Amino acid sequence: MAKTFHLTIARVGENLFDGEAVSVTLPGEEGTFTVMANHEAFVTPLKAGEAHVETEDGKKQSFTIEKGIAEVSSNQATVLL
Amino acid sequence: MALKDIKLKIQATKRMNKVTRAMEAVSAVKMRKTQNAAFEGRAYARAALAVLTRLSGTEDMKRHPLATARPGNKIGLIVMTSDKGLAGGLNSGVLKKAVQAIGSRTKEEVVVYAYGRKAQEFFHNRGFDIRSSYINKGDNVDLEAMELIAREVSEAFLAGDFDSVVAIYSDFRSTFEQVATAHTLLPLSIDAVAEIVAGIRPAKGKWSDEPILEAPTAYEVEPSGDEVLGILVPRLVAVSLYHMLLESKASEHSARMVAMKNASDKSKEVVHDLTRKFNKVRQAAITREVSEIVSGSTALSA
Repeated sequence: MAKTFHLTIARVGENLFDGEAVSVTLPGEEGTFTVMANHEAFVTPLKAGEAHVETEDGKKQSFTIEKGIAEVSSNQATVLL
Repeated sequence: MALKDIKLKIQATKRMNKVTRAMEAVSAVKMRKTQNAAFEGRAYARAALAVLTRLSGTEDMKRHPLATARPGNKIGLIVMTSDKGLAGGLNSGVLKKAVQAIGSRTKEEVVVYAYGRKAQEFFHNRGFDIRSSYINKGDNVDLEAMELIAREVSEAFLAGDFDSVVAIYSDFRSTFEQVATAHTLLPLSIDAVAEIVAGIRPAKGKWSDEPILEAPTAYEVEPSGDEVLGILVPRLVAVSLYHMLLESKASEHSARMVAMKNASDKSKEVVHDLTRKFNKVRQAAITREVSEIVSGSTALSA
């Protein structure tokens, strides 16, 4: 069983994703990166691109991002668009 | 009161009842919309402010100019009221809170950003320095508009026009309860942000679990702390303002609906009482006429 972490992707007025995820790939300002469970705490701004989320049952979801901020801490990730 | 006067008054009250009932219906629709918007917005505001709180402990944050406390007594006030009245004690509550926040400061030490006509009128009439006023904005304000205001206020703060910024708005608790609330927006501090986050948390339901606020010991910040905070902090100030605005809007329409409901109920009661009075006066007039006729005919036949 893949390890999961709590992921929240929120836009103002709308929650795009809120739940357990195995991995999320995000377009960071310094290049694309992937967050998995127990990632170290960090913060980074995001640029325009696509976010790919993989959930526990192997399903993949994609969201378009214009700009935003990703924050990871204590096994939970928050992406604010 | 003459019969005709009562009749006119009944008609006038009935007309008033029609108006208040219509306003009640309109407010009910707007209330539902704005309440939804406020609830939806809470998730985002909560997540954003939780991030800010966790970051507040870092060294970069403490050095950030928007987070640095300054000695000085000058205050910037962001006051959020509605444009229109007839909303019960909503606006007077917010304005009273604003006066409290001003405290013993002189007018020269206060700069006002008025959001809503009621706030603008109030501070204009009392001769305060109104830096900007935002009037007739409608209900569907987006985050971008709030970012503009946040930028304006942040720049004035950094330029030293005032040493702290306090936002006053009405916090939406329920349809029947709105509380005028004051929050210190700038300089950013952990306590102030935690307070706002706590305010967002409803007593029960979907978002009622305690958000994680304790910061991890070490944060990896890419590319650099200053750059991240340069993006993050203005955005979070805007998000706080946006959240306050949504709460204010939900409060306004709820308060107005309740006020209009009370007015409708009262006018119905008044119509009822007046109808009673009308009937009594009419009955008295008839009785008097009958007894006049009877006494007249007895006098003739005698």
